[in-house]
Amino acid sequence: MALRELNFEFKPESPKTIKDEWSHIGVVASGDLEVLIEKENALKGKIKIHILTTVVGFDDVWETVVKKFIDKTGLSGVKVDINDNAATPAVVIRRLQQAVDNGGGLQ
Amino acid sequence: MRINWEDLQSKSFYQATARERAYGIVDKDTFKEFLGPRDKMTSPHLLILGEAVEFDDGITVGVGMIKKHPVFVISQEGKFVGGALGEVNGAKMAYTMKLALKTYEKMKEKYGTVPDDRKPICIVSFDSGGVRLHEANAGLLMHSESMETIWELQNKVPYIALTGSTIGAYGAQGFVCLSADVVIANDFGRIGLTGPEVIQQEVGKDEFDASDRALIWRTMGARSKYILGDVDYLIKDSIGTFRDTIINIVDQPMSKISKTRKVGSPQLVEENLEVVKLAAEKKIKDSKDLWKIYGNTNVDEIPEMPQDKFLSVVKRRPRRI
Repeated sequence: MALRELNFEFKPESPKTIKDEWSHIGVVASGDLEVLIEKENALKGKIKIHILTTVVGFDDVWETVVKKFIDKTGLSGVKVDINDNAATPAVVIRRLQQAVDNGGGLQ
Repeated sequence: MRINWEDLQSKSFYQATARERAYGIVDKDTFKEFLGPRDKMTSPHLLILGEAVEFDDGITVGVGMIKKHPVFVISQEGKFVGGALGEVNGAKMAYTMKLALKTYEKMKEKYGTVPDDRKPICIVSFDSGGVRLHEANAGLLMHSESMETIWELQNKVPYIALTGSTIGAYGAQGFVCLSADVVIANDFGRIGLTGPEVIQQEVGKDEFDASDRALIWRTMGARSKYILGDVDYLIKDSIGTFRDTIINIVDQPMSKISKTRKVGSPQLVEENLEVVKLAAEKKIKDSKDLWKIYGNTNVDEIPEMPQDKFLSVVKRRPRRI
């Protein structure tokens, strides 16, 4: 059984981007995930998200959780990579917020 | 990515991630990571098997400075697949060690001698259960490469092992840890070959009860290893104390640093075999019996007492070499 791969692209209404060039947080422990955010000039106002997860059958939940975070924060102009090992939605939101903070916050 | 070096100094070594340990041990803002998360060097084997992957494959390697020493740091992350050694993270480990050796040789070639206050250092922060079974042969290959490199580092580059994270150093990494010139541990440090669960599974509960936490810690824990002489420094649990202990060691001449080696010569093998002989002769059933032989009277209190008190009353195995 291969890993589940998900790709999303969003366009938040009020786009903001992180201060630093890149940001990384988290360890792929059981029930946890890591988030890597990298700035990309070609993605102005947009955001690309790539997720590798061990859990199958929760694609809609992933989309809802990530979309909610991006609508709230306006994070864009970046490519986000997530490696997940069965984290719950609450942990996903927390790690995304930590990754943004680790990149110097939004501007 | 931002890491606050000052905050790391007081942070618990036990709770810190591999990256935090690596950044905190060297001087402020000197750590340069090789093959970090942005390089996305993940394990090809885990991907096929449908196991979660990590961008750094569960290890942080890089180079930093301590005073004037170039310090090659290898830091294992126990929370990712038990810190186990695979093809990618094993290669990162072995080749960072090789880089330390190469640095030494280049310095020697260019300047004739390598001064004591500038010699390269190799530090490994252990947090691993051994070879990753998903990619067994590739992991074992990298294990043997790192062992070979450790042999070549002998009497050239000080190799310092740190243990005190969630898992400790088990399986193949137990060997790698005890091949060090100096072993530093906090009270959470553990060194062993076969882990408690596996001993119980293979030989039975009468041999080793894996649910008996006290038994595990007094057999494989840092205090017992300190009495036996496998651990050279038993210290408080913060990244800063580990760093301070390392700072006190690095400027010493190589001949003095390698005095605390546990393996590497026929004399040391003989000395180690004496412990085995002693255990067989006296029919040792528990670590406590062994502690008694080395002159400790209050063996029931040893695992529980505060570290300062333990260090002041403990009697260790005498070393002849």
